[in-house]
Amino acid sequence: MHDIEGVIRENRHICQDFYRCRIELAAPVGKVVPGQFIMLKVPSAEVFLRRPFSIYDYGKQTVTILYKAVGTGTRALTSAGRKERVMVLGPLGHGFQLYRGYTPVLVAGGIGIAGLHLLWKQVRRKACFLYGCSTEQEVSLLEETTQRMTREEPRVCTLDGSTGFCGNVVQLLENSLPLVGQKPYVYACGPQPMLASLKALLAEKRIPCQVLVEERMACGLGLCFGCVKKTLDEAEPYKRVCVEGPVFDLWQLSL
Amino acid sequence: MATLSIDLFGKTLRNPVMNGSGTLGYGREIEPLWSIDTLGAYVTKGLSLKPHHGNPPPRVWEEGRGMLNSIGLQNVGLERFFAEHFPLFKERNTPIVINFFGFTDEEYIECAASIEPDPLIIALEINLSCPNVTKGGICMGKEAQGVFSIIKRVKEITLIPVIAKLTPEVADIVEIARAAVSAGADGITLINTMPGAAIDFRTLVRGNLSSEHGEREGEAPTGFPVEGATRAPVMDMQTKRMAFRGGLSGPPLKPIALKAVADVSRAVTVPVIGAGGIMNHEDAIQFLMAGARAIQVGTATFVDPFAIPKILAGLATYMDEHGLSRLSTLVGAAYA
Repeated sequence: MHDIEGVIRENRHICQDFYRCRIELAAPVGKVVPGQFIMLKVPSAEVFLRRPFSIYDYGKQTVTILYKAVGTGTRALTSAGRKERVMVLGPLGHGFQLYRGYTPVLVAGGIGIAGLHLLWKQVRRKACFLYGCSTEQEVSLLEETTQRMTREEPRVCTLDGSTGFCGNVVQLLENSLPLVGQKPYVYACGPQPMLASLKALLAEKRIPCQVLVEERMACGLGLCFGCVKKTLDEAEPYKRVCVEGPVFDLWQLSL
Repeated sequence: MATLSIDLFGKTLRNPVMNGSGTLGYGREIEPLWSIDTLGAYVTKGLSLKPHHGNPPPRVWEEGRGMLNSIGLQNVGLERFFAEHFPLFKERNTPIVINFFGFTDEEYIECAASIEPDPLIIALEINLSCPNVTKGGICMGKEAQGVFSIIKRVKEITLIPVIAKLTPEVADIVEIARAAVSAGADGITLINTMPGAAIDFRTLVRGNLSSEHGEREGEAPTGFPVEGATRAPVMDMQTKRMAFRGGLSGPPLKPIALKAVADVSRAVTVPVIGAGGIMNHEDAIQFLMAGARAIQVGTATFVDPFAIPKILAGLATYMDEHGLSRLSTLVGAAYA
């Protein structure tokens, strides 16, 4: 694996604190599995460590990330201009695994959509997509994701009811489960409380589920053991998000 | 062309660059990027007699141009290390330094006793920055007497050279180093991380201090029930803390480390291994000039996983450019 230089071709504000950044790479990266991530050297003197970002899209030697400006790194990234040079390491981690005979049901909460987009591109003909966010404005994230690529209407919910179903995405999933088809397999990405609710719902119905999680990360390569999540493995409870994850079986996580 | 090889503890290492303990996983993790035999010697993660789970997340925190970590010494234990990971170093013929720790004097002794000598094990590096649970949790490495007694007992029980890795959080690091050497330490690694703290003030203001919006925001960001949401809605779910404590590493540590290396290397006769904020070959040269016989690179690898090979290339170029044939001519040059 090499550290690859890239040039920012687009770093566009979408809505609220959400941005999309397209980076053209000097060399192709290896095969990308949906759910994998990159470590990006943000071009700012204020940012010391690299930052992990889900691979939102990849093709023609260009990697795209969708991100929310929340901390020092992502806020600095918003001011990176076109033609700025960055370093990209990836693809990293274990992505989603698909199984025959199941209907994939993708469940995204807020910026969690960034980690599910590539999977959606791969399975959309036979899959179902549920997206939950706070308000109507955030729905443009979904439009960003699904435009030009699907005829199926993703099911949408907002917490304030301004668009689609009124409620959170796990409630939407509960309502939608009878309609999604044979043997659902849930693929989810969203905030920790969403994953806990998801676990409660799916445990009852014994539905399999893989989740993409995030954690503060330093190296992205498994070197520092900094980015762990607690699992139910009693012998070795803390697993590295960057190596053993970022996709975990929901039933292995201690939420 | 100049040679980077050095002599350490009666062995010849191909170069003076090691990784800092706990910054290169179990070694195999870096192999997709570069071969572990690139190193002069590999330093293990801190190992203990029994596996250790480590701390709940968050474990890392960026702070200025450095980082804080609180990994909590997660490791598979000595037995599993030798069964699962040591064969890689055999295969690559890479010398290794076994870094280990304990929470009581007896645990240190048991660890050292359990490690069989092997031609590839060049030294045991004792992490002296752990809390001693039998002495009210005081850091082992802060008292010269405590350091002396642990090193002495470890030396009695092992034939492998022993390195004391010292914490900088002491009044006089030279005094501690002298105690380690008089107890028989064969080398000193300077320095471990410096304890520090950081406060997530943005989260704190949004979540805790603003009584007007606190309750509403506790529910709003996710729409999912959050335990204790009205009081602390966005704090870390597991630690219930927004203030972070951990060991500071990276460039902020460099001047402190460089001074410790300069002071200690002139006060003791055993080799000093320099560590703390070495980001590039220029930093590495400064540590050698301060008196370090070898160096350890840690945090730099997180920023740039190719930092170690780049430092090696930079060192070789520097020596060629300056007509130096042996690295040892640089050691201590700044204070000669």
